[in-house]
Amino acid sequence: MDAPNNENVTVEALQQQVSELENEVEALKSQPLADYKYFQFKGSSSEYFRIWIVNIALTILTLGIYSAWAKVRSNRYIYANTYLNGSNFEYNADPIRILIGRIVVVTFYGLFTIFSQYHIMLKVAGGIALVALLAMPWLVRQAVSFKLRNTSYRNVPFRYEGKVSSFYKFFLLHLFLNIFTFMLIFPYSYVKFKELIVDNAHYGDGDFNFVGRARRVYAIYLKVFLWSLLFVFTVAFVFGILGSIVNAVFGESLSDFFLTIKESVDPDILRILVALGAFVLYIPFVFWNKGFSDGYFSNFVRDNTTLNNAPLKGEMKPFALGMIAATNALAILFSLGLLYPWAQIRYLKYKLEHTAFACKDYEQFESHGYVTGSTVGEEMVDFFDIDIGM
Amino acid sequence: MLVDALLYDGITSKEHEVTLDFTFGRRVIIASHNIDVALEDIVIESRLGNTPRVIEFPNGVRCKSEQNDTIDQILLDFNLNKSKTHKIESSLVLTIGSVLLTIGFVWFMLTGGANYSANFLANILPQTSLDKMSELTMEQLEKGFLKKSKLSERQERIIQAHFDKLTQGDSRYKLHFRSSPDMGANAFALPSGDIVLTDQLVALSRDDEFRDILGVLAHEKGHVVKKHSLRMAIKTGIASAIVGYITGDISVLATTIPTVLINSSYSRDFEREADAHALKEMKKMGVSTIYMAHLFEALAKKYEGAEESNSTIGALMASHPLTAERIEFFKSHAN
Repeated sequence: MDAPNNENVTVEALQQQVSELENEVEALKSQPLADYKYFQFKGSSSEYFRIWIVNIALTILTLGIYSAWAKVRSNRYIYANTYLNGSNFEYNADPIRILIGRIVVVTFYGLFTIFSQYHIMLKVAGGIALVALLAMPWLVRQAVSFKLRNTSYRNVPFRYEGKVSSFYKFFLLHLFLNIFTFMLIFPYSYVKFKELIVDNAHYGDGDFNFVGRARRVYAIYLKVFLWSLLFVFTVAFVFGILGSIVNAVFGESLSDFFLTIKESVDPDILRILVALGAFVLYIPFVFWNKGFSDGYFSNFVRDNTTLNNAPLKGEMKPFALGMIAATNALAILFSLGLLYPWAQIRYLKYKLEHTAFACKDYEQFESHGYVTGSTVGEEMVDFFDIDIGM
Repeated sequence: MLVDALLYDGITSKEHEVTLDFTFGRRVIIASHNIDVALEDIVIESRLGNTPRVIEFPNGVRCKSEQNDTIDQILLDFNLNKSKTHKIESSLVLTIGSVLLTIGFVWFMLTGGANYSANFLANILPQTSLDKMSELTMEQLEKGFLKKSKLSERQERIIQAHFDKLTQGDSRYKLHFRSSPDMGANAFALPSGDIVLTDQLVALSRDDEFRDILGVLAHEKGHVVKKHSLRMAIKTGIASAIVGYITGDISVLATTIPTVLINSSYSRDFEREADAHALKEMKKMGVSTIYMAHLFEALAKKYEGAEESNSTIGALMASHPLTAERIEFFKSHAN
């Protein structure tokens, strides 16, 4: 510090010093603390559509056997088009193993369906369900492990080291906790489950870490609930207002019009049309809701996850993701499923491109090599569309 | 031939820019990394759209190259097999063909195809497995829903006589008289040939000789002969599998709604088939089907209101053919 009585110090010089320091602060502020890089998705829906439809056709022609190869092919396409810091991901699953897993799951499920069709839940069907239930924690672990070890980035695979016993402990404990608290403790279970998954995940020798607070999850559930409520009321309100305006303006002629419709159109057809109309309103809402909460939860998990202390970040706008999901559902419905690949990519692209990772050194990771293992868990999760949130 | 690529040694996540040299001696050389291997020792993964091509070297080394066309040319030049799948995917005609095949297949399965497959499977399943399943079902039913019958000895004797005549002493078929306030007026058949008849249904009979009940028994026997419950089970599985597979994400809705529709209409077909079987048997035994029609009228009266009106939605969803339709059917065939 310069002494205040120094003659060289002028007000101008001090001001200049101050402004220099201010500039420096500004520069530091504008420079991100960490160098976030966004994930990129470079695939195209037309290319993916071709892969998807050929997959289905070949699956039909081979009576389902090709479905394992189909899964690998479409996953390979999606992973290979996912880029981070200029390098893409790889999907390495072996179709033969997937096929074996699929056969096991489908056989079990087939037996269950046949047995359970007989009037009342049968002992045999019950037995199959019980076996599946008891194996559940193990199968979920298998699925998590499968997804990670078959994903690699820069020729270094991800790994999973969670213990089977931890999964049994988790499911048993949280099953009881949730029964006794009427699910009120579910957000806490959610956080604990994420810890179990993320903390045991590794990229090569790099360690993932998850530190999340259940408080935030409660807040998310509350937000999702309130916004959904608001959404429903808004829709009802808008329709109500519109209806009364239309009624006030065209009241007479409209009721005449409806009377003519009522008289000329088959009442049954009219009823079907009304039912369909309600259905078409209902579907987008269900899917909007799904995307909306997915946005919140994905952000939550990303924001609280690090890899060797390098943070991930989620910047999805839940409302936007909800709209994507809703319009996707309508597109799939009205194209009789043909727009499914387009919708899938649209959703995925949004999520990926709103996820960022700040890593100082992408070359620091050492590989533990590729390993193989059972695929039954993965196929079960796949078959029943169980969301383990990876 | 030279190919630009990125090399990852599989030990660390380091990335190296390299040039692969495919020589005419069928060797692949990466000079910067002292790699010189035979062409047969590397695996060039099948092409997948325009994603970077993965080339696997011995010792876990992988290269990725975006020069897909050059690599395809190399595969051609060195007579290595090129992925057929990519060929299909890049052909417009074959892609359109795939779309048509898929739509056609789904349509076929949703209309008639499930029938063929279900019948095929139902026919190859051994009877012993069906018997075992039925035995277990019967046990469950006895515990939960069925009580001892309160029919008079005369009633039981007459109906049993009808049943014996109907089954012509085939020991496979067994008739069980039970009372079931929960199930109400009902009769059902298990795939083993066990047929359960409730007192509540017998109470609706308007014929002293119980010729209407004979019709019901013949109808239930029809279900057994045609293996309806098994066919139903298989069909449900097939329908939900197709819809679920094709629609993927939307499956929550897709598997439930169409299955309900398909299921109900299938079981309507089954009911019609069983009715036709009953008609045949009754004709053979020389009993008029008018009694059956009367019984249905009594049933309709009893369950008035519960039965859907003659609406289109009702007809689409109903599990049984509309009672009115069945009454008409049995009346029209009553000589």
